[in-house]
Parts: sequence; structure tokens; C-alpha cells
Amino acid sequence: MSDDKKEKEIDVNVVVSKVTNDVSRRSFIKTTGLALGGLAMMGMIPPGIRSAAWAAGSDAPEKTSLKIGFIPLTDCASVVMAGELGLFKKYGLDVTVTKEASWAGVRDKLVNGELDAAHVLYGLMYGVQMGIGGPKKDMAVLMSINNNGQGITISNQLRSKGVVDGASLKKLIDKIDGEKREYTFAQTFPTGTHAMWLYYWLSAYGINPFTDVKNITVPPPQMVANMRVGNMDGYCVGEPWNARAIYDKVGFSAATTQDIWKDHPEKVLGTTLEFTQKYPNTTRAMLMAVLEASKYIDTISNRPAVAKVISRKSYVNAPEDVIEGRFLGDYDNGLGRKWKDPDYMKFYNDGTVNFPYLSDGMWFLTQHKRWKLLKDDPDYLAVAKKVNQIDIYKEAASQVKVPVPKDVMRSSKLIDGVVWDGSDPKKYANSFKIKV
Amino acid sequence: MKLRIMLVDADLQRMDLLMNTLQDTGHWVIACNDEAGSLCKHVRDIQPDVIIINTDSPIRDTLEHLCVIDRDEPRPVVMFTHDNDKQKMRAAIRAGVSAYVVDGMTGSRVQSIIDIAMARFEEHRTLKNELEKATATLAERKKIERAKGFVMKQRDCSEDEAYRLMRKMAMNGNKKLSDIADNINIAADIFV
Repeated sequence: MSDDKKEKEIDVNVVVSKVTNDVSRRSFIKTTGLALGGLAMMGMIPPGIRSAAWAAGSDAPEKTSLKIGFIPLTDCASVVMAGELGLFKKYGLDVTVTKEASWAGVRDKLVNGELDAAHVLYGLMYGVQMGIGGPKKDMAVLMSINNNGQGITISNQLRSKGVVDGASLKKLIDKIDGEKREYTFAQTFPTGTHAMWLYYWLSAYGINPFTDVKNITVPPPQMVANMRVGNMDGYCVGEPWNARAIYDKVGFSAATTQDIWKDHPEKVLGTTLEFTQKYPNTTRAMLMAVLEASKYIDTISNRPAVAKVISRKSYVNAPEDVIEGRFLGDYDNGLGRKWKDPDYMKFYNDGTVNFPYLSDGMWFLTQHKRWKLLKDDPDYLAVAKKVNQIDIYKEAASQVKVPVPKDVMRSSKLIDGVVWDGSDPKKYANSFKIKV
Repeated sequence: MKLRIMLVDADLQRMDLLMNTLQDTGHWVIACNDEAGSLCKHVRDIQPDVIIINTDSPIRDTLEHLCVIDRDEPRPVVMFTHDNDKQKMRAAIRAGVSAYVVDGMTGSRVQSIIDIAMARFEEHRTLKNELEKATATLAERKKIERAKGFVMKQRDCSEDEAYRLMRKMAMNGNKKLSDIADNINIAADIFV
């Protein structure tokens, strides 16, 4: 921002706060026949001036007491830390973060308003928007919480049959003279991110996730135990539950999700569209707090302390060292390979993690279509524009000095070499050879 | 029509209550514990018409999957909740939030099952609350008795007199009788 512009904004800021603090404001609204309240008033003021007005404190949250849900996974860190570091308080919010038992529970509570917002799977938000398998409601993705840091674990039982990666898994499944049995793979929610990573990964190796293997849904904290008793041969889940399988010697990491898509979208801070419209200031305050926490967590020297906090029983409830390794980028696949992963779980990365790219949102819709969770092609772009709250995000980001990318789309090359840039979602969705 | 109802809950006592209630209505009820691995198998084997599950159960996602993905075996699911706000829960069910699509069964039937289940659940909770209250009262009584004994001994007075003294003290200090008893008991520990 140039100094010149800054000065102007400060000028306007004084004027605006004068107006909003004026006791005659109410009568002003009445006499002009604009009985619309502060929100509509703000809506008429250009965005640049608006942000200056918020800085002046005329932007008090409409609702201050909030409940934000999370599921015990390493990537709940930014929501948890926003509370632990007092950042919600800093922005005028009194937030209770509540540990939830299931994604279906998170969804229901978001829909009926029991939760104001949640740490939630990107794909789930779009599933609810489209009414897949449950209630249909207009949802709002406020920001992306993290990139990377999930993984695919395969049981040591399959390892003893020579499986070490996708290609060898395909070989085993194709073996005609081999043992005739069904192979079972688990993910965490039918429309969620892990289901999509698992399906994409299997398909990249020529395995159809619906016809070549059986796939089931298991809650994240129950994955390791279920693999131990032989209920499944592989699973896709967020950390620390892949590291935990190695720690417990029941499985190994066949792939990380950053292998499938470097810097892929994962969890989001989600709420309903209704909430953002009813409480725009609260929404922004919440975003600012979580963005600041994201910055804090991505300062790598802070991470050991963060790992310690989130390992607590009230949060992830897993041994600190199981969380910490991969959280710091120190990977071990359980097959003897150890490496420093540059694409470990990121929460900020100069704001590139957090921006709600429309192409990210649309990608989940294309995969829902691919696997027939959606029967027909939706208007991909229109849905993404409605769900991803780019305007509110930009307002909040500018307040906490988080850089915002110029383009609402981004381009990525996935594991199968196919590029996704959001330019033709319909063509992309229908281009996959392996599908339902 | 006799329904095959599957009950899924980690709380065995509550499950038992619900099971009896639902059986009384003439339905066939199967109970199942709260574990993802066994659930899929049970659903396939038992083929229930309705599944009643706690809203806060972690394996709800597993059921969700059976409804969304395995379209050949979707089972209608209804559920109850720990939530204190019964009205809210009912509203949620009406809004379709917590009730999955019910195929081949009228909504009113499911509603009546939910009603019974919830009424029974409510009863269970009331009983539990009453038990907790009774336990707390008993503990309080014990404290007061002990304090009374100490006052009687120190003042060489009757039980009634000791009680009156303590009550007066509580009233003057705007405190609960049990708090006064606590204080006396602490002091007594020093002297005795």
C-alpha cells in the first residue's frame, strides 16, 4: 500500500467512525427510510473504506460467543492454537473449541447451528452444498486450513506379499493365480478429502476403487486398531494416524498425499452461508484469528510447542512424538526410507495455503461427479463461487497482512501427470478412464 | 409391520433400556456395539430396516458410507442424542438433519420409533440425574452429621442445639449449611 493511499484511508477512517458513533445515526437511517441496519450501510461503502472503518473498531462482532468444532487430527492445530494463543479473544470473540466424534456429526451440527463453524473436510462442505447423501444447505468455505500431511498406509500383511507401493499393489490384485480374496481400503468420509485421495491414488495405478477393491469408511482414531485386527488392507487418513501405524508396527506408508498432489487442499474453516450473512463481522474476526494462528504454526521453531499442545487428551490425544516427527517434516515410511519432506503439512506458507481458490473447490465437485456421488455435472464455477467466500477472506487477510494471490485459480500437476487448473471442470470431470 | 431395528450404542445400560422399549412395541431389535469394523458386517448380515444410533457416535461416518456408497444396501438410520435440548433435536429431525432417507417406510412410523426411543432415553437421563442428586445429598448429610457431632462435644449441647447453631451461622453468613459443616470439619481435623 502506498503512503499516499494509507493517508487517505486514515482520513476516511476518522469520518466513518464519526458517523457510526454518532448517536443520531439511528434517526438518520429512519428519516432516510433506510431501516436496514449497519450491515446494509456498510455494504454501500466501498471495500477500501470499509476495512479502514473496521480498524477503528466500528466493526464489533455481532455474535461474540461461538462454538467451533474439530476432529482429533494434526491439522486441527490452527483452530486449537487460535484458542490457546488467545487470538479469538484478541478479535473480540469468546470461542469454545469442541472435540467432535464424527464428520457426520460435524456436518449435522453445522447445518442445525449447534456449531458456528468447524475444522472440516473440504469435500464434505461441497457434499452438503450439493445435498449428497444427507441434508442440503448453502455452505461457506472461509479459508483453507492446511496443505499436505495426510497419507496412505498399507498393512504389513500385504507387505509380506511384496506390496511396497501402488504398482506392486496393482500386481498383487491382478494376480490371477494368487489368493482369491477381496482387498479392503478405508477412508474417512464418503465425500471427504481422504476418500478422494485414496480413489485418485488407486486409479493412478489402474485400480478401480469401487470394482477392484472394497472400500469402507472408518473414523480416523479407529484406523490403526481396525488394521491390526485385519478389517482392512489399507487406508487413507490424516496424520498422526499414518505415523501411528508405523509406531505400532501394523503398517507402512505407501504414499503421502503430497505425492498425489503437492500442496493439495485439505481441511477448511467452514460454516454456513447464512452465518456469514448474519454475522459478517464475527466471520471476519474468526478468520483473522485463525489466519494469525496459521502464521504462528508455520514458524517452524514454534512447532514442537504446538505438537505438545495438540497432543493433549482434550485435542488429538496421541503421543507427542508420533505427532511431532511428520509435523516437522521428518518422514519415515516404515520400510527403511527416511527423508526430510519439503512438502510437509503447511498451515500458512505466505498465505498460499489459506486462500480459498475456486479451482480447489471445483476439484472436489469434479471427483464427486467422477465417482457418481453427483449424478450430473453441476455448474462447477457457480457453485465454487457461492461456497468459497473470497471477498470476506480478502477483507480479513488485509487486516492481518496476509498476502492474497492475484488469481482465483491455481494450476497443479497431479500424480498421474494430469494438470488441473480449473479452466474446464466439466471436461476434466468426464475425462477419467477409471470411474464409476 | 414388524420392523428389524438395529441399535448401536456404547452405553450398554442405555442400550438395554431402549431395547426393551422397542421390543415392547413388537419390533425385532438387534443390539450392536460401537465399533466400525463389526458394524459393516452386522448391517450386511442383519439387514435392518432401521438403525438407531447416538448422534455423537464416531461410527456414524461408517453408516453414512453404507447409505451413500453402497446403494444396494442403504438402511434407514434414525438417531437419538446426548443433547439436553430435546426441542432442538426434534426440530433437527423434522428438518431432515439427523434422519437419513427412509426407503419403503412411512415417515410417521420412523417418527413414532424416534419418539419412543427419545422418551425412554429421557427417562434414562432423568433417573441418572436423580441418582447423582441422591448421592450428592447423602454425602452432604454425612458431612453435616460429623460437624454436628463435633459441635455437640465442644459445646456440650444437644443435637438440636448444635444443628440450630450451625443453621444460624449459615444464615448469618449467607452460606450453605454444608459449607459451614465443611469449615467445622476442617477445624475439627486440627483439634482432634
